[in-house]
Amino acid sequence: MKFDISYIIDALPRLFEGALITLQVAILGFCLSLILATFLTIVRTSFNSRIFSSLLAFYISFIRGTPLLVQIFLIYYVLPVFGLNLGPFSSGIIAITLNSAAFVTEILRGGLASVPNGQFEAAKSLGVSGVALWRKIILPQTFIASIPPLVNEFTMVLKATALLSVITVVELMRVSQQIYSANYHPVEVLSATFVIYFLMCFVVSRSSAILENKLKIKRA
Amino acid sequence: MNLEYTIFFDYAPTILLGFWLTLKIVVCAISLGIPLGLFLALGRRSNFLILSFLSTSFIEVFRNTPFIIQVFLFYYVLPFYGVRISAEYVGIIALAAFGSAYFAEIIRAGIDAVPKGQLESARAIGMTDWQSMKNIILPQTLSIVLPPLTNQTLTLIKESAILSTITVHELTMTGLMVQGETFRPFEVFIMVALLYWALNETIATIMRRFEKNINKNRNTSSANNSIATLKQSENTR
Repeated sequence: MKFDISYIIDALPRLFEGALITLQVAILGFCLSLILATFLTIVRTSFNSRIFSSLLAFYISFIRGTPLLVQIFLIYYVLPVFGLNLGPFSSGIIAITLNSAAFVTEILRGGLASVPNGQFEAAKSLGVSGVALWRKIILPQTFIASIPPLVNEFTMVLKATALLSVITVVELMRVSQQIYSANYHPVEVLSATFVIYFLMCFVVSRSSAILENKLKIKRA
Repeated sequence: MNLEYTIFFDYAPTILLGFWLTLKIVVCAISLGIPLGLFLALGRRSNFLILSFLSTSFIEVFRNTPFIIQVFLFYYVLPFYGVRISAEYVGIIALAAFGSAYFAEIIRAGIDAVPKGQLESARAIGMTDWQSMKNIILPQTLSIVLPPLTNQTLTLIKESAILSTITVHELTMTGLMVQGETFRPFEVFIMVALLYWALNETIATIMRRFEKNINKNRNTSSANNSIATLKQSENTR
């Protein structure tokens, strides 16, 4: 057998469609996990409850200690047992979100630690509290401090979406599997997919520095 | 929903067999991956342009693609070039290649954390490049790279679950098979998840204690900074 580039050219349009779905899933999952993690961080810091903190620690430890693939299977196969029939796409998004939220919460904890305590005290003495305290003072500083790890986390999510192919979400990986099971040329198709994944992740991971610079100027 | 406790006992031997294969695969992958990672790290730093370009591209490519597609590529490309080996060995090779890219970055960061003067003085007293690396620099990086290396090991254990997609009968695969027999996904996958979790927590605890012992013997205040940066950059999934 010979490496035949014409199979790649034939497959490209469909692969790009798959790549778009991959991007959508990754962005959706990442945004949801960002919201969830922000919420968890705010609750943890402002209520300072022992029980909540230990539950959160338990959740984070579980997510970090088990493979994402097993988490995906757990959600995909177990939710229907409880009567929730969501289909692969929604289950996949839920799995990615729950997984990523644990990591983002850890990242935000680091970012929050870089915000000086004086900021809380100054806000309090000015009478700023509740939503305004978080939205105007603490969260912007936290997010700017955590841009590099957050961008890193986004590439992780982008790579993690490939795992959703095992529960039949039709994203880039699944599309390539469909193509090569039809034309029996896995090497060509998978190589093309490999390159597409690499380009997406590489561009995103390199954008961290640009993003950081832009937001820093705005802040000054 | 009521739990079917008998599954835990009836299928424990099958599941544990899968767990044992996971362990074997990860141990093999790590013992292949760390030397390869060291080679890549030194290659990336070398002045020989072709070598440094090749190492850099290997590291960047393997760090910026999903592991599942690397596994599939190895699974299909090796036979394409006439190498026919069983799925277990393909899995070990893929896991080692994936791990080595991360190991290389960890080791490189560790080498960079050692003050430059160390290498210069080693060269000044007449050691060759390799001697100064082996006797002066690498021993000093050990305490710096140990925490991220542990993290990466835990990542490899978790990533090994993906080998189930190429029919390696490791823990996740046995879980899927038992699930197919019993139709009790909750019990089975909780059992699988708990085993992974227990393994990860055990290794993490042992290594934390080990690190404490090492740090007792040396003053690593200068290295603490680089540990913090390493910890931030290395995300374990």
